[in-house]
Amino acid sequence: MMSHQNTTATSQVDITRVKPYGDTLNDGMVQMSFTLPVPAGEEAAEAARILAKKMGLDEPSVVYQRDLGIGYSYFIVYGKCQHTVDYSSIKVTKVEGDVMDRLECEKFIEENIKRTVTMVGASTGTDAHTVGIDAIMNMKGFNGHFGLERYQGINAINMGSQVPNEELIARAIEEKADAILVSQTVTQKDVHIANLTNMVELCEAEGVRDKILLLCGGPRISHELAQELGFDAGFGTDSYAENVASYVLTELVERKRV
Amino acid sequence: MGLIKQLKTKYRTLAIVGMAKNAGKTTALNSLLEEAFDEGLTLAVTSTGRDGESTDVVSGGDKPKVYLFTDTIVSVPEKLYDLAETGLEILQRTEYRTAVGNVLICRVADSGYVQIAGPGSVREHQKLCEDMLDYGVDMVLIDGAIDRKSIAAPETSDAIILATGAVISRSLKVVVEETVHIVSLYQSPTLEDEEAIAALAKERREGFCLALIDDENQLDVMPVRTSLGAGALLDEAIGEHTKYVYIDGALTESVIAGIHPKKFQTTTFVLPDPTRIFIGATKWQQLLKKGFRIRVLRNIKVAAVTVNPFSPSGYAFDPAGLKQSIEEALDGIPVFDVRMGGFESYE
Repeated sequence: MMSHQNTTATSQVDITRVKPYGDTLNDGMVQMSFTLPVPAGEEAAEAARILAKKMGLDEPSVVYQRDLGIGYSYFIVYGKCQHTVDYSSIKVTKVEGDVMDRLECEKFIEENIKRTVTMVGASTGTDAHTVGIDAIMNMKGFNGHFGLERYQGINAINMGSQVPNEELIARAIEEKADAILVSQTVTQKDVHIANLTNMVELCEAEGVRDKILLLCGGPRISHELAQELGFDAGFGTDSYAENVASYVLTELVERKRV
Repeated sequence: MGLIKQLKTKYRTLAIVGMAKNAGKTTALNSLLEEAFDEGLTLAVTSTGRDGESTDVVSGGDKPKVYLFTDTIVSVPEKLYDLAETGLEILQRTEYRTAVGNVLICRVADSGYVQIAGPGSVREHQKLCEDMLDYGVDMVLIDGAIDRKSIAAPETSDAIILATGAVISRSLKVVVEETVHIVSLYQSPTLEDEEAIAALAKERREGFCLALIDDENQLDVMPVRTSLGAGALLDEAIGEHTKYVYIDGALTESVIAGIHPKKFQTTTFVLPDPTRIFIGATKWQQLLKKGFRIRVLRNIKVAAVTVNPFSPSGYAFDPAGLKQSIEEALDGIPVFDVRMGGFESYE
């Protein structure tokens, strides 16, 4: 690869050494933005540049800065990433099973479950953001994917935001729910972690952990994190109602809870 | 004699439970595994979360890997099987489903690093422990995850090791208080009233979550599906003859918030075990001052406490000082700083 380094741009991707793409393959160009607690100015821009250099970016340049007031300033920095990743060695665990679309889910319920499936969801703890749980549960859904309320055979109960864990569990028990969906959008200082483990522990104490499927979702949630926290499944970004529904319906059959 | 050999004579399953993330559970586990190897014991290992991955899924930081010796029995979900850095012989494919595939019971063919994970629910863990004991191991170790403590329940674990440390607070006083709170909850007195126990046992078979027992040991099952949020209802139901309130569920602040404190003087709350208590140290002390009393059907044996003087946020306590403070506060429970000499020299 080194031999034709200065000739034409490389067009062959080496998946064992992947790096960012800007204008040409393997130029490593990265754009990032951050805020520094210093007033904007030439010193601040230099600070941002040095910081980017320390992060391992070559030829960092500050292309934008703006004073945020009260002694803070915001930067956009370009630079060349020097690191590569061996893409071929990456192993990621994903939610198992095929994703059925809404109509297939409805048919699956009719044929295999033969009763209404109840799911209770909320954004829990101090989290006031309903965007995640609404995208999955509300009738209109998100990004062209209808929400669970639209599904025939699914009783979707969206309790909204800032719902204490115990209220969500109490409701799920009252409704004899098949699944609890917990959304966590705010993850600053890892507040979602303690809140999610508390959910699992309360379900254990209430004796419902092996009766109700426990799902969590949010921008920083992955399937691997779900396993660590004690949830049955975890859904990150790019998950829609059909991902959640497919998982719940398949598991109900697999676990013989129909 | 090391701690593990002593524990082995008394317990079949031992859970390592953490007060918080980064309290030192995996370090304690590795130390126990090493000691068991030195003593010639064969162990089985499972985890309520996931163990042995080198990067922490929560913080992205480094995490101690888990080194297993030849012949150790271990639970590994299907999707983590390929990630083991040594040979694993599959003994059994179980029906326990996890987020990363069904749990396999494996035998370590060659010592090495293995990623461990177990079933999601405590009940399934209980069954898994039985499955593992059938392979003739001396003891099963269950590694807890993050701050999840339900695995400490006596149905699953004969005893626990509690991992605590600097991560809980920058204040040594708070670390000691929080640790003492959990240990004293776990050692809650058991219900000794034979007639009440008999009344409960008779009805428990039917399955209910909330009941009152009066001074003639008559049991009154309340028509609710959960005790959560039942405070106001309980306040109405507790009369002057109510001797016990039995809760087969979680004891949270919402359960007792609606109850007039005067009723705490005459009524005792009864729970299956201490893992059902979800009330913080400060609030708990306030309740006790108002006369609140608790009894459990079974309590939890705390075999040892481990201390980790370092916090990943970058501060640390004087190791000897932390160990001594915890030792003094926990009268009689052995305290170890695993990094400073393991579980050795335990009399």
